[in-house]
Amino acid sequence: MTWETVIGLEIHAQLSTKSKLFSGGSTEFGAESNTHVDLIDMGLPGVLPVANKEAFYKAIRFGLATGAEINQVSSFDRKNYFYPDLPKGYQITQMTKPIIEKGSIKIFADDSEKVINITRAHLEEDAGKSIHDLFEGETGVDLNRAGTPLLEIVSEPEISNAKEAVAYFKAVRQLVTFLDICDGNMAQGSMRCDVNVSIKKSGDKELGTRAELKNINSFKFIEKAINYEIDRQIRVIESGDSVVQETRLYDSEKNETRSMRSKEEANDYRYFPCPDLLPVVISDKELQEIKESLPELPEEKEHRYISDIGLDESEAKIISSSKTMANMFEEASTKTNDVKLVAKWLVGDVSALLNKDNIDIEESNLSPENFGKLIERISDTTISGKIAKSVLEEVWESGSDVDEIVETKGLVQIQDESILVEIAKKVVESNPDQVTAYKGGKDKLFGFFVGQVMKETQGKANPKSVNKILKKILN
Amino acid sequence: MDKKTVTTISYLSRLKIDEEKEEKITNDLENIIKFVDQLNDIDTSDIEPLTNPLEKTAKTRDDIVTADNLKKELLEIAPSSNEDYFLVPRVVE
Amino acid sequence: MTIRYKTIKEIKNMISHKEISNKELVQEVYKLINENSHLNAFITLNEDSSLKKAENFDNNPSDSSLAGIPIAQKDLFCTKNLRTTCGSKILDNFIPPYSATVIDNLEKAGCISIGKTNMDEFAMGSSNETSYFGNVHNPWGENLVPGGSSGGSASAIAAGIVPAASGTDTGGSIRQPASLCGITGLKPTYGRVSRWGMIAFASSLDQAGPMARTAEDCALLLNEMCSHDIKDTTSLDENIPNFEDDLNQSLKGKKIGVVKDLDLASLDNNVVEVYENSLKEFVSLGAELVDISLPNLSLSVPTYYVVAPAECSSNLSRFDGVKFGRRSQNPKDLEELYIQTRSEGFGDEVKRRILIGSYVLSAGYYDAYYKKAQQVRRLIKKDFDEAFSDVDVIMTPTTRGAAFEMGSKGSDPIQMYLEDLFTISANLAGLPAMSLPNGNIDNKPIGLQIIGNFLDESSILNFAHMYQTKTNWHMLTPEGVTK
Repeated sequence: MTWETVIGLEIHAQLSTKSKLFSGGSTEFGAESNTHVDLIDMGLPGVLPVANKEAFYKAIRFGLATGAEINQVSSFDRKNYFYPDLPKGYQITQMTKPIIEKGSIKIFADDSEKVINITRAHLEEDAGKSIHDLFEGETGVDLNRAGTPLLEIVSEPEISNAKEAVAYFKAVRQLVTFLDICDGNMAQGSMRCDVNVSIKKSGDKELGTRAELKNINSFKFIEKAINYEIDRQIRVIESGDSVVQETRLYDSEKNETRSMRSKEEANDYRYFPCPDLLPVVISDKELQEIKESLPELPEEKEHRYISDIGLDESEAKIISSSKTMANMFEEASTKTNDVKLVAKWLVGDVSALLNKDNIDIEESNLSPENFGKLIERISDTTISGKIAKSVLEEVWESGSDVDEIVETKGLVQIQDESILVEIAKKVVESNPDQVTAYKGGKDKLFGFFVGQVMKETQGKANPKSVNKILKKILN
Repeated sequence: MDKKTVTTISYLSRLKIDEEKEEKITNDLENIIKFVDQLNDIDTSDIEPLTNPLEKTAKTRDDIVTADNLKKELLEIAPSSNEDYFLVPRVVE
Repeated sequence: MTIRYKTIKEIKNMISHKEISNKELVQEVYKLINENSHLNAFITLNEDSSLKKAENFDNNPSDSSLAGIPIAQKDLFCTKNLRTTCGSKILDNFIPPYSATVIDNLEKAGCISIGKTNMDEFAMGSSNETSYFGNVHNPWGENLVPGGSSGGSASAIAAGIVPAASGTDTGGSIRQPASLCGITGLKPTYGRVSRWGMIAFASSLDQAGPMARTAEDCALLLNEMCSHDIKDTTSLDENIPNFEDDLNQSLKGKKIGVVKDLDLASLDNNVVEVYENSLKEFVSLGAELVDISLPNLSLSVPTYYVVAPAECSSNLSRFDGVKFGRRSQNPKDLEELYIQTRSEGFGDEVKRRILIGSYVLSAGYYDAYYKKAQQVRRLIKKDFDEAFSDVDVIMTPTTRGAAFEMGSKGSDPIQMYLEDLFTISANLAGLPAMSLPNGNIDNKPIGLQIIGNFLDESSILNFAHMYQTKTNWHMLTPEGVTK
């Protein structure tokens, strides 16, 4: 029996507004507990929500970038349930009239392109945080996050495997960071996702019963959780049982999903229109202004890099994969005439370091500004490519300024050719055997002399000059 | 309105019905539901629900932080808190 | 010199003519509260702060419109640093760190909030028998209810303790107690008065308003209560007239809608007689009677008892023992904390409504009940829209009868719900409506309801004031004296 997997993602992206969705409380991450809690966030009796216009604008940017329908009149509903970090006993969300419907996004997985449709994207408020492991027998509640605006992005169940799911999440993350509507910081929980997984016999039209995997916040775990869940569902069905529709929690330590049935018990959210909030209208003028303010999107950048700048497709794809990477490219390109050089460094050395540390460019110590300096110093021949490599490594470790490293370590390239001639002569003189062999036809030994000169100069020589000088001496 | 329904809605509402009152409350609820059932005789096809008497749209806020740090006052009015958090019995996930 | 049974207008005169100092005035209020403590009209008093404010007015006379006027605030309005219970055990220790906009507005105008009045728990009741803090008594008779839910406010005014009080009205909670206590009370247009800091019962129906002895005093209070409040998105950004200016317009040629569909036969003969006499009085003032039809009026009670419980079931979820208010003792886990806190903290009527609300919103019932009710609500509003194309105001009795005895409605909640038959429709449609005294049955007062068009409180106040210049019903007191 072969099985097909059907996956849908609900991505929660925290919108990077300054204040909360319905209050003037700050959304700043990492503040001391319960210091960013307004009367409204606390759900005190008699307080009322007032919607933050900026959250709508940010949601609309996402809608426009995904070719979605923008509902210029959208409204809020209440989702009722009890939990200590949900202060009002209900979450304000958009059930019936979401701000965004029917968008789509392109993904690349297994070397092919696929379009994933987005059913809807709606605004809702985040809950606070419950801290379970800090106090004996008690759970602490921090309401700083309560009321932070979220854009919940719901995909159609069109994703076929764990790799595609990760590719989809990455594409959404790339887009929201390009749009400057979410910082995309997974470690801080700025993006989280729930994954609906079901399996069906190959060729079946009907969808299988799905399980919802809750609150996964890293690419690695999405992939592992989905793969585990697919195996589990196959085991369940093949052993003659059936999959239960339920919420399951992924345990990353044990690499398994387990039922949270207790939470599901008699769950009925009793959605109804929030009577405190009238519908919010976005005018044509506002919509037009948002349209005009949209930045260049990843796909547009990729095309431009290929057609205008002449990068290879693979280079263009890597560089446009994140906003920071693209910024680095564009900033560094202003420092040199050799744009291909910039691409080469990003796709080569920088990407290698990223892979080695398994991190994203945003998490690295390398800033666009510093990278620009590095390129500038290579371009103006202050440092050699080899030295540049070690400078990059140093920046990677410490985040120090490129010029400072070059200066304090005395890495400036030797510009004076007469010094190089002296050194080259010395190298030739002290290796008579190799000179004889070279002259006898062993051309390969030329590289040996270059290496020796570079060694003598601690890499500070310009390899082109060294080549030129050695050729003169040896021939 | 059977016992099971009353149990379900009591749970959703996080209310416990005292045993000696259960019959009376079930009865009351049933009567109230019967009473409001007369609405079902009315033809409301094509009538848009009216969820707020103001058929207007909302004013919104600008994205400005206006809240003060109320940590101390808010934790003080809580039934159980320490210097940093609101406290509830340990929740097992 | 006493302020007992005096109107705001009269007390303002007394202050400005220095017949009484602000401090003496407030002292007398507290003396009257003590002498009438059997009414149980107040839950919490604000004596020290009130006396200080009064002294301050004595030392620095103010020309604010309501400077020094003592006012009783319904305990549903949050008052900064002053306990706010909403008549419930679950909030019996709640001291808000903020005030309702209505409270701020009234205090800015110079009102002295002398205390918080008793009320049906979370404003759910029509007799003030659901308060955790005990029944309020109607000064018109030993065992009579004052009506509800603003029963404490109505009782305090009727007993002549204060000239003014704030109330809130979700289905008749200002007008019904006003009728049963023989005072004047106005529920403004939904959105006229900010709901910020008003503990929500049913958010799409709740509206705060003034309660006083006369329509003129209601106008003075309403002038100050109204504001466009950016903290409440349902607060209207509309021109607020000076309601006092429009009080003395002639009623000549004005049209009063008389509802054909009212089932007057089900009412006490005396109530019908009182009502018809009032209509005659208005005719003698020059107004015309016009028959109108509100065909869906009888559906307003069942509609209300879907919409209001639905909203309340959600609004009252925040009372969970986690962040404020009372928590049950030693819950063994979170579920027990929720269930015990709420089961101990809420009274039976509140529980009943939460349960109904959860039911009508639950999966499988939403369309049949909640959605249906909101559709019927639109039909009810449409009826009013059509009626108001022909008339200036609509008049009905406020209540089906005068004040009833405590406990007399038995244990059938629907009997109590029908108490609000005439008042509920104005809330569903968001329209302003008032009750003013228009008769006396067996030495018990009763009221006339005047419903106005959207934002047209001025017409209501004008009709009521003209009536009160010709009649004495509003000047009757329980002591039998007409001032």
